Amino acid sequence: MSQSSERATGSIYDLGYRRYEGVRLGRQHAVAAIYLQGLKGAFGIGRRTSSKIIPIVLAVIVLIPAAIQLGIAALAPRDISVIKPENYFGFVDIILALFCAAVAPELVGRDQRTRTLSLYFSRSLLRSDYAAAKFGALVTALLIVMLLPQVLLFGGSALASSDSWAYLQDNWHQVAPIVGSALGIALFMASISLTIAAQTPRRAYATGGVLAFFVVLHAVAAILTGTLSGDYKRYSVLLDPFSILRGLTVWVFRGNVVDAASNLAEVHLSGWLYLLTAAAITAVSLSLLYRRYQRVET
Amino acid sequence: MNATIFVLTIRQLLGRRRALLMAAFGLLPIAAAVIFRMSSPDVDTQRWTVMVLLNGLVVTTLLPLVALVFGTSAMGGEIEDGTAVYLLSKPVPRWQVVTAKLLAAWLATSLLVGLSTVISGVIAMNGTPQDGIVSGFAIAMVLGALVYTALFVLLSIVTSRALIGGLIYVFFWESVVTTIFAGTKIFSVRQYTLGVARLISTASAKTFEARLDGNEALWLMAGVSLLAIFLAVRQLQRFEIGEST
Amino acid sequence: MTTTEATPASSQPASPARPTMEVINVSRWYGNVVAINDISFALGPGITGLLGPNGAGKSTLLHMLSGFLEPSNGRVEMFGQPVWRNPALYRQFGLVPEREAVYPFLTGYEFVLLSARLHGLADPKAAANRAVHEVDLQDAQHRAAGGYSKGMKQRLKVAAAIVHDPPVLLLDEPFNGADPRQRLHLMDMLRRMSAEGRTILFSSHILEEVERLAENVLVIVSGRLAASGNFHEIRKLMIDRPHTFRLRSSDNRRLAAALIAEESVFGVELEGERLSIQTADFGRFALAAPRVAKDSGVTLLEFVPTDESLESVFSYLVGR
Repeated sequence: MSQSSERATGSIYDLGYRRYEGVRLGRQHAVAAIYLQGLKGAFGIGRRTSSKIIPIVLAVIVLIPAAIQLGIAALAPRDISVIKPENYFGFVDIILALFCAAVAPELVGRDQRTRTLSLYFSRSLLRSDYAAAKFGALVTALLIVMLLPQVLLFGGSALASSDSWAYLQDNWHQVAPIVGSALGIALFMASISLTIAAQTPRRAYATGGVLAFFVVLHAVAAILTGTLSGDYKRYSVLLDPFSILRGLTVWVFRGNVVDAASNLAEVHLSGWLYLLTAAAITAVSLSLLYRRYQRVET
Repeated sequence: MNATIFVLTIRQLLGRRRALLMAAFGLLPIAAAVIFRMSSPDVDTQRWTVMVLLNGLVVTTLLPLVALVFGTSAMGGEIEDGTAVYLLSKPVPRWQVVTAKLLAAWLATSLLVGLSTVISGVIAMNGTPQDGIVSGFAIAMVLGALVYTALFVLLSIVTSRALIGGLIYVFFWESVVTTIFAGTKIFSVRQYTLGVARLISTASAKTFEARLDGNEALWLMAGVSLLAIFLAVRQLQRFEIGEST
Repeated sequence: MTTTEATPASSQPASPARPTMEVINVSRWYGNVVAINDISFALGPGITGLLGPNGAGKSTLLHMLSGFLEPSNGRVEMFGQPVWRNPALYRQFGLVPEREAVYPFLTGYEFVLLSARLHGLADPKAAANRAVHEVDLQDAQHRAAGGYSKGMKQRLKVAAAIVHDPPVLLLDEPFNGADPRQRLHLMDMLRRMSAEGRTILFSSHILEEVERLAENVLVIVSGRLAASGNFHEIRKLMIDRPHTFRLRSSDNRRLAAALIAEESVFGVELEGERLSIQTADFGRFALAAPRVAKDSGVTLLEFVPTDESLESVFSYLVGR
C-alpha cells in the first residue's frame, strides 16, 4: 500500500492475498479454545436448542435427590438425612452414565465425522493436547453436574438447620471429601466415556457403547456376586464401575468401607483397592485415548 | 407389510458387525446360567432363575437394549444414513414401510432374546424347566419386544436422538421412576412384560410377583403398540428432508 | 419488482397445454428465515436447469418438488396433483437425490432391482437390467455398491431413478464431482430422454453445465426466482444492460466512425485487432451493422456477441 505524497498521485491497492501479520496465539490458546468449546458443547451452548435438552434434563434429574432431601429436612421435625453427600452418587450413578453417553459423542464425534482432525493436528496443537483438552472439558462438565446438587444440599441443609453457622462449622470438613470424590468419579467416567466414543464417528454406536460399558458390567457383576461365593464373589464387585466408584466415595468420606448400603459392606475390600482399581482403569483408558489420536494420519 | 423392505431390513440389521455384537449380548445370560450351574450356590433355583436371570438380566437389561439397537436402526438408521429417501420415493404406502421395518426389528429382537431366554433358562433349571417359567418368560419377551421395537421405531422417526432418548426411558424412567412411583407402572414396558410372564407361568407367588396384572398388561401392550404404529405411520407420511444437521 | 415475460418461442417452458409441473406462489420459511420466497413457474417436456448460487434455495425447491418438503405456502403440483403426501405419484417421476449414500451391502444390480420391485414393476429383473445398461454400469453391477467410486454411485442412483421409465426426472446436483467422461455420458443420456418427450429438471451451480445441457433455465437467487425461460431470451430482456459485440473487419477505424453515427450504438472501442461495440438494442444493431459496413465499403470478418453467455446473464441477475 503506497501513501499519497504532496503531489496528487494515484495508487493501486493490491487487495489480493494478504499474510496475517498479527499476534499468533500459541499452543496454550489452542488447548484452551478446544477445552472451552468442548465444555460449551457438552451442554449444547452455542448450538441448536435440541442439543441442550438432553444434557440439561439429565443435569436437572441429578439435582432431584438433593431437592427431595431438602424437602424432607424442611418438613421433618428432627434432622433426618436420607440423602447425604457421601451416598449421593449411589442415587444418580446411572444418570451420570447417561450423561456421559450423551455428551462424549458430542465432544469427539463431530471432529471424526467431518474429518477435521488432520486440520487440527497440522497446527501447533499436539495430539496429546487435543485429547487432554477434550478430557478436561468432559471432566469439568461432570464436575458441574455433580457438584451443583452437593452445593444445593450443603447450602440448603445449612439454611434448614436451626443454627446455620454451627452447621457450617461442624460440616465444613466435608467439603474436601465432596470435591475429592466428585473429582475421582469425574476422572474415571470421563476417561472411559471419551475413549469409547473416540473409537467411532457414528453417534449411535458411541452412545450405545458408553452406556453398555456401565450397564452391562453392572449387570454382570450383580449376577456374579449373587451367584459366586468366597473370594470370587468379593472380587467380582470390582467388575462393576459403579461399585468401584461407590466404594471409593465411601472410603474418601469415612476412611473405611462399612457402608450399610448393598453389597459393599459384606465384601470387605480395602478402600485402597477401590482407589487402585479406579486409578488403573482411568490410566489405561487415558493411554488408549492418547493412542487413538496418535493414529490419525495427517 | 412389504416383503421387499422386510428382507432389506433384515439384511441391514444382521450385518456382520452388529450381529456379532448382539450375539455376544445374547450369550451373557447363557454364560451366567452356566456359572450358576457350576458354582451351585445356596439359593432356590427357581427364584434365582426368575429374579436374577430372567428378570434381572434379560428383561431389565438385554431385552430393552437389543430392542433399542434394532428398533432405532431399522428406520432411524436409514434416515440418518440418507438412504431412507430411496424407500420413500416409491409408490409404497407409508404404513407398509413402517410395518415391514417393525416386523424385521421385532423378529430380530425376538429371535435373539427368545433364544437367549430359553437356553439360559433351561440351563439354569438343570434341563427340566418347571412351572412354565421359561415358556412364560419367552412368550412375554416376544410380546415385550413388539412393544419396545414399536416405540423405538416411532422414536427414531421423530427424532435423531432416539437412541439416547430410548436409553433414558429404559434406565431412568423404567428403572428408577416406576420403582419409586408405583402408579407409573402402567407406562413401563418392563412391567407389561413381567405381568405377562406372571400370567403364563404357574410358579408360586413366593417365587415371583409382578406389579401389573397379566390381563391388564396384555391390553396395555396391544394399545401401546397400535398407538406407536399409528403415530409412526403418521410421522413418516410427513417425512421431510430438512437442512442437514 | 416488475417481471417481464419471455415471449413464447420454440423452447418456451410453459405451454398452453397442461404443464407437467406447476409451482404456484410457493414459499418456505424456517422460523424467521425465508428460504423460498413466493416462487411460481411451470415446466413442460424438455430439459430445464435450475441454476443458483449455493444457499439460494435450489435444494429446498427440489425437495418440495419431489414431495420431501412441505411448502409453507402455495402449491406444488405434478400432472395436476399435489406432490406432498402423495406416494402414488412416484410412479410418474424419478428422483436422483444429492446425498452420496447407498446401501453398501447391496450390489449395484440389487440396488436397481430393489427400486424396480418397490415400484411394483411386472418384470423387475428385466427393467433393472435395462437400467443398468442404460447407465453403463454392467461391468460393475455385481460388486457391492459400498465400493463404488463417486461417479459410479451417481450413475447407480440415476439407474434406480429411471428403472420405471418415468415421464419426469428430477436430479439434485447430478454433476457434482463427476469426471468429464461421466458428465458427457450423463448429458447424452439426458438429452436422449428429453428427446423422447420427458420432462427433466436438474439443479446446478456450475454455469457451463447448465449452458450446455438445458434448453431453459430457472435462475434462483436468495430464495427468489430471478429469471425463467430460455436464457437467450432472458438476455434480450435485460434492456438496461448494454449488449457488447466484437467485430473484426478490413478497416476497423472506418467502420467505427460509421457505426458511432448509428442510433442503436452508444459505445465504440478499438481493442487491438478488434472493435468492441456497445449497443442497447440487440435486434436493431444486428440488422444495422452489415448495412453500415457495406455502405462504408468495409468487409466484416467477424461478428460475435460477447456476453451472450449464461455467465454474464447470471452475474447480472445475481448482482441485481
